[in-house]
Amino acid sequence: MSDDTKNKKGTEHPLSILANEAYQAFVDMGFEIGTGPELESDWYNFYVLNFPKDHPALDMQDTFWVRDPKGGCEINRSQTQATSDKVLRTHTTTVTARELEKAGKEGRLPAAFISVGKVFRNEATDITHEMQFFQIDGGMVGENISLADLKGVLTNFYKKMLGENTEIEFRPSFFPFTEPSIEVFAKFNGKWLEMMGAGMLHPNVLRNIGLDPSKVQGFAFGGGLDRIAMIKWGIPDVRLFYQGDLRLNQF
Amino acid sequence: MKISYNWLKWYIPEAPDAQKLADLITYHLAEVESITPLLSEEGVGGGDYILDIKILPNRAHDLLSHQGVARELASLLDIKYVDPTPKYKIPESKPTKLKIEINTDKCRRYSGRIIRGIKVGPSPDWVVQHLESIGQRSINNIVDATNIVMLDCSQPTHAFDLDKLNGSIIVREAKDSEELTTLDNKALKLKNSNIVIADSARALAVAGVKGGRIAEVDNKTTNIILECANFDPTSVRKTAQALNIFTDSRKRFENDLSPELVPYAMRELSALILEMCPEAIFEDIVDVYPKKQEIRKLSFSADRISNILGLKVSDKQIEDILKRYVFEYVYEKGKFEITIPPMRLDLVKAEDMAEEIGRILGYDKVKGNIPKINFKPKVNEKYSQISWAKNKLLTDGYSEVMTYTFCDKGEVEVMQSASDKKFLRTNLTDGLKESIKLNHANAPFLGIDQVKVFEVGTVFKKDKEQINVCYGDKKNVTEISLDDFCKTMPSDFSLSTFNFKHSTGRFAPWSLFPFIARDIAVWVPENVKNKDVEKIIKENMGDMVIRGPELFDEFKKDGKVSYAFRLVFQSYDRTLTDAEVNEIMNKITDKIKENKDWQVR
Repeated sequence: MSDDTKNKKGTEHPLSILANEAYQAFVDMGFEIGTGPELESDWYNFYVLNFPKDHPALDMQDTFWVRDPKGGCEINRSQTQATSDKVLRTHTTTVTARELEKAGKEGRLPAAFISVGKVFRNEATDITHEMQFFQIDGGMVGENISLADLKGVLTNFYKKMLGENTEIEFRPSFFPFTEPSIEVFAKFNGKWLEMMGAGMLHPNVLRNIGLDPSKVQGFAFGGGLDRIAMIKWGIPDVRLFYQGDLRLNQF
Repeated sequence: MKISYNWLKWYIPEAPDAQKLADLITYHLAEVESITPLLSEEGVGGGDYILDIKILPNRAHDLLSHQGVARELASLLDIKYVDPTPKYKIPESKPTKLKIEINTDKCRRYSGRIIRGIKVGPSPDWVVQHLESIGQRSINNIVDATNIVMLDCSQPTHAFDLDKLNGSIIVREAKDSEELTTLDNKALKLKNSNIVIADSARALAVAGVKGGRIAEVDNKTTNIILECANFDPTSVRKTAQALNIFTDSRKRFENDLSPELVPYAMRELSALILEMCPEAIFEDIVDVYPKKQEIRKLSFSADRISNILGLKVSDKQIEDILKRYVFEYVYEKGKFEITIPPMRLDLVKAEDMAEEIGRILGYDKVKGNIPKINFKPKVNEKYSQISWAKNKLLTDGYSEVMTYTFCDKGEVEVMQSASDKKFLRTNLTDGLKESIKLNHANAPFLGIDQVKVFEVGTVFKKDKEQINVCYGDKKNVTEISLDDFCKTMPSDFSLSTFNFKHSTGRFAPWSLFPFIARDIAVWVPENVKNKDVEKIIKENMGDMVIRGPELFDEFKKDGKVSYAFRLVFQSYDRTLTDAEVNEIMNKITDKIKENKDWQVR
């Protein structure tokens, strides 16, 4: 907002700046950029990722299910790709799954994908919760990809995002689509902060995307981009990102 | 799950102090959400620490209990676990006429026991202390005993007043519209997908969820039936959810418990009641267990574990862990085959053991490594298009905004929403117009003459979603599809020509109170620099200026020069009045006029 921006180049949204920085960090490590639909099938959003059909995340109170235009209001939950219902994706692990599936079919393994995309959660909003936010999600699959590789990749990523002094650590966690599952913490300004969920892709997920878990293995990770932005720049309220307010474009 | 440190110490007397324990749990088991000291002045439970542990869903089978957590920690830390079982007195027992019938596959085991001649009354002090330390209320000795057993070994149990019962215990589906009033006086209307515990006439309890009033234990109760049972997790969850009932019992059953826990819980519960009512007469346990839990095995090698973790783990390290965790195992030809303990429903495959071994050793042992693989990434066309479009608009002077996907009309509707906006946007234009309006009002604050903004985002039509590009100013807003916008994109466009910026800095919050913008134009002799005027303004403008003085106009005439400055006033904690801003402007004007040949226009 200095004088010389007047009538010159426009200002960028902070999340775009951060997304591009993140993409750059991963592309430098050989990752391919992935994209996918925001309105997603429950197949890719849940069942491919080994969510059981009675998992609490599938409740209407948490996930935006889309009304069938033909007027139905029952969710069929058939757990097949052909008869899927639609949801607003709750994570962009959907993109990682779709891209890995495609790469497998095209015989392009080993491969690694990174995506930044909008995700949706049906929850009341406050300074740290929004119904829409951005997730950064990625995965790598090959013959001997391990948790150590995940740690190396994410350490490199957070150093680039938050500064060279940034450290990360893994703590035990649980997700239906990873085993082992871990929570990634980063040390920023002397404090350990929860950054993202991650782990080794569950064999059921590999099978669901047409890969053979006895031959390949890999990791996946995902977390909020908004959260990184809030930490990095000290932005106090997640809702500020979606007001269309140019006062936000300070960077 | 709230865990009392003192209670844990019954089982692991060698445990380190509470803070140290909390750290170990965080790094090897699950997040400790809080650790709260109970001050001794606060009466019962004083001197204790309460650890609120966020037990992970895959360990909710065995860790929603003090014994479960204590056993885990004893193994993790390789310290002594004091098995309480030998201390549970086994009461003398008489033949029984109790009959139990299971008429549904949703009940996997039901164990019942009649006890006669009990005396309902207050609980012993240690029971009250245990309950209150973790925020529960003591009710009476019998109800407390059932709660203690659940919090201790995680098996929910229940007691019915035998004399209020009509015939035998039947576990069955509810009849449609069957009614039941819960212990907390909630009138329920059941469906036949709900499972109930009934006598020959009526439903007595919603299985695994909540007891009913009919057979409630009260102060006059002398004869009871104890229930230790196991129910299907999905059935319990769906029933409780439909009835909107949250109980500790539901939480445990919906996470799936092992039916093998039932006899242990019955033994502990009987011993507790014997301690409280030494005169009571116990009858034989009736245990109906239609289908035994399978004994499962799992095999893996140290190599496989090492491969998953990216950490060299030796056979010896694995054997050490298996021994500490009391896993039965055989080792043959480089492979471990373990017999999975019944409570460890989370262990199914080699990957589960990799997690087990990884977390026990500590993930800090895993050292980071960037794989040296020659990946062959393809170019993502959509991302290239988006980047090109954004860059073009930025170059043309448009600034980027993001607005909400949800709105109050559209072609695609969500089924349930926490907000009143249930539709997905069909265009970006509506949001962008709002943005222009907002930013136009803030133009002086932003220091811009004209608001030019854009958004690249997804819109939703009945049959498809599409990425659109929308850009405009106060007069004109244009929206077209990304594909159309990118028709002029050079075919050899490459992202590598961009130099993405690395942004540091801190966010500067803005005030929520209105700002006031004022201009001041000054005539001065030609040799006076704008900095000289600016200096006087700065010295006299006070501390409410959030933007400026900004020189926005300058021209010369007849040996004089005119400088026009803009000042934007705003407070972070109140609305400024015109009067006080006028006062500041007057002061600036007066100071300027003190200079010879300076005039304020």
